[in-house]
Amino acid sequence: MATHIPLDEIHGSQEMGEQTQRKLWLEVLHDWVTTVDHKKIGLMYISYALFFLLVAGFEALLMRIQLAVPNNHFVSPEVFNGLFTMHGTTMVFFVGMPILFGFGNYLIPLMIGARDMAFPRLNAFSFWISAFGGLLLYYSYIGGSGLYGAGSAPDVGWFAYAPLTAKVFSPGHSTDYWTLSLLLTGIGTIGTALNIVATIISMRCPGMKMSRLPLLPWLYLVTSGLAFVAIGPLTAAQIMLMLDRYLGSHFFDTQAGGSAVLWMHFFWIFGHPEVYILVLPAFAFANEIIPVFSRKAIFGYPAMVAASVGIGFVSLGVWAHHMFTVGLGAAENTFFVLSTMVIAVPTGIKIFNWLATLWGGKIQFTASMLFALAFLFQFLIAGLTGIMLSVAPFDWQLGNSYFVVAHFHYVLVGAILFMVFSAFYFWYPKMTGRMLSEKLGKWHFWLFLIGFHLTFDFMHIPGLLGMPRRVYTYEADRGWMIWNMIISSGAVVQAVATLLFVYNMVWSYFKGPLAGPDPWDAWTLEWTTTSPPPSYNFAETPEVSSRRPLWDLKHPDDPDSDYEIGPSRRSRAKKESQ
Amino acid sequence: MNSEGVEFQVSHPNQEHGLHLPSPTAWPVVLALGLSLLLTGMVTNVAVSVLGVILAFSACVGWFRQVLPEEAHQAVEVHAEPVPVFTARRLAERRPEDATARKILPVETFLITSGIQGGIAGGAAMTVPAAIYGWVKYHSIWYAVNLLAAGGFVSWIGASNAFLSEFHLRGLLAALVIHGITSVLVGLLYGAMLPMFPRYPIVTAGVMAPLLLTGILHSAVAVVSPILDHRIDWFWFVASQIAFGLVCGFVVNLHAKVRTPQFQALPFSVRAGLHSDIDDRYHDESSDSDGEGTSR
Repeated sequence: MATHIPLDEIHGSQEMGEQTQRKLWLEVLHDWVTTVDHKKIGLMYISYALFFLLVAGFEALLMRIQLAVPNNHFVSPEVFNGLFTMHGTTMVFFVGMPILFGFGNYLIPLMIGARDMAFPRLNAFSFWISAFGGLLLYYSYIGGSGLYGAGSAPDVGWFAYAPLTAKVFSPGHSTDYWTLSLLLTGIGTIGTALNIVATIISMRCPGMKMSRLPLLPWLYLVTSGLAFVAIGPLTAAQIMLMLDRYLGSHFFDTQAGGSAVLWMHFFWIFGHPEVYILVLPAFAFANEIIPVFSRKAIFGYPAMVAASVGIGFVSLGVWAHHMFTVGLGAAENTFFVLSTMVIAVPTGIKIFNWLATLWGGKIQFTASMLFALAFLFQFLIAGLTGIMLSVAPFDWQLGNSYFVVAHFHYVLVGAILFMVFSAFYFWYPKMTGRMLSEKLGKWHFWLFLIGFHLTFDFMHIPGLLGMPRRVYTYEADRGWMIWNMIISSGAVVQAVATLLFVYNMVWSYFKGPLAGPDPWDAWTLEWTTTSPPPSYNFAETPEVSSRRPLWDLKHPDDPDSDYEIGPSRRSRAKKESQ
Repeated sequence: MNSEGVEFQVSHPNQEHGLHLPSPTAWPVVLALGLSLLLTGMVTNVAVSVLGVILAFSACVGWFRQVLPEEAHQAVEVHAEPVPVFTARRLAERRPEDATARKILPVETFLITSGIQGGIAGGAAMTVPAAIYGWVKYHSIWYAVNLLAAGGFVSWIGASNAFLSEFHLRGLLAALVIHGITSVLVGLLYGAMLPMFPRYPIVTAGVMAPLLLTGILHSAVAVVSPILDHRIDWFWFVASQIAFGLVCGFVVNLHAKVRTPQFQALPFSVRAGLHSDIDDRYHDESSDSDGEGTSR
């Protein structure tokens, strides 16, 4: 927590400023490695996630080349197993979570008017242990050995079902690398979640009641709560697996009285809330970006908060819809069918509220907004295929097919990644002080959109035709070739678009126009400070009286506090009516 | 900057000259490295774990010494320049506040008793197609009654057609309770829903809602009890649902609506809260003073 000191205690600050401009790269590296500044840690999270995005994207490309034509042997089956395991694990644990925690780290203190996170050192520790977890996973390519001693990376799939993970079926250490790296990153996730909750609860600036908290921190609060609950079972399961593999216990060994289904329960009790841990921050970005580019306040703020909290709770009770094909029984299936369908209600509320925010607004089609609009449409489709799969008999037919792969990629790419791109275009100016090129941004958008729909729209079809997920290759007479060729072509287009995005980020960092503190004419507190913000965030602790403090500042004649329904407003209205 | 924009500055009259922020420290990264090496030793060499333990222990000691008894801080100078911010929205006259700015939805509704009466009437109407179905197919009006009672007596689901076609007092009572409660609850729902349908509420509620409900039940019953699913004739089920919907909707609609305090004769978009009628009236009165760029 920052404390105020008088000026005379600051020794040689001017010389320090001059020296900063002449820093050696080693000093810069030292600064970043030892920093506890939430903004630098946020940027490190984001950079680390972007690196792994490129790695995991490359793995996906290799898989798509392998599947583009029948009877292909571009890579060996062993390598293919490693590719889909590493792609899934990396995207979920080392791209999705770090990038979202990175934005959260950067934005939450700024949005609530704080100078840092509640526990800055824990924040740094959480980042570094997550980062080392990722490095350990990829060290397996050098140090591990896989199924039947073949290959070196983990190759048991990203949800690593028992008994495939047992020592007898998965000798060597490749599965251990997978387990240990997730244990490490789990510690980091818990640390960051704890920090976010503590920061939001205890460090809001004067006047920022929970009813005035911007929706982004609100959703990160729910996400962090979910992370608390969800990471525990995963960690417990990983430890049990380690005990099975190292000490000869039999938690998941069915032949010795253990249960393979137990692993599935533990994994999916984590795994489905994990989807919401990833998608709620994407919702959070939409909640901030759509209103700004619609030039309207968010529609239905209380309903949005309630829906987010509702999603948080319901998402803890839907995990077994991943297990309909196990044969849980009619009553259990019915419960999870209904709970999965119920989650569509708060999600639907959100979609309607975003649409209502757009309704009648003066929409600005910036690159950021284009990604957000595509997110709205694609998330709707993802939700609809989710409802289809939530019906147990339908799932019995299409479970473990490419239809499922298409569905969850529609969520992870069509919703989450699109909103991450949108967030980059929106907050990059704040983070770097430079605008991203809008022209390149729109090229990026359209190319990525085309690539995405070529890949994931058509991916539903081979699924419906019976193509199983994780299949290494297929016979020509199956009729899947044309669809796989289209899917793989789309993947190449997405790769080109992603490289364009990376180029835009690098080019704009050096050559982009200066952003200024508030390039979007926005309304939340992060836009009241310089771009990039100073280490202390705000020269003076802000004081707010509405959900849009910068609106109030810009329009003192017409402040939001006159309109927002809250206890004070209600009591005033009651007095007026009397 | 937009030439029509209005520029402001975030000034800091009470600004502090300097601040204390937490000092940079290497101990978090050392602790993270130590714990990572500790686990990495499990898959490489025990020496790696030993190194990890040493690093982790050193990091804990270093970390504690940095925060105990007092947290280490570094002094940071605060720059005094005010931050310029602007808005593209031209300043305009403030719109007059109006009591109708906030709507209570729905703007008009039925009394609770209307829903209860509608539910009872609909429930009675529903028995007619159900009885006809039983008579046509099994020559007994009790078949549908006993099938519904199977909701209370699970073993009846697998009973013979002859058993279900007979009169059972227990079955009649169970069916009455299930049917009565469900009908009243759905009637109350209709009473709340009907005012929200913009057009032909009875047809919408009487046909569309039963079709949707049947779809949901059809998919759910197939999972919950395939035997019961097999015994239900879904065509007749839809017919009885529609009979309920039409009669219940008609009865509810016979009653006078009660206006909520802020009732207005407004289009649907206004009733849903998407638009406020203030905008239209305001435009009519002073179209030239509209704010540019931003609206609430």
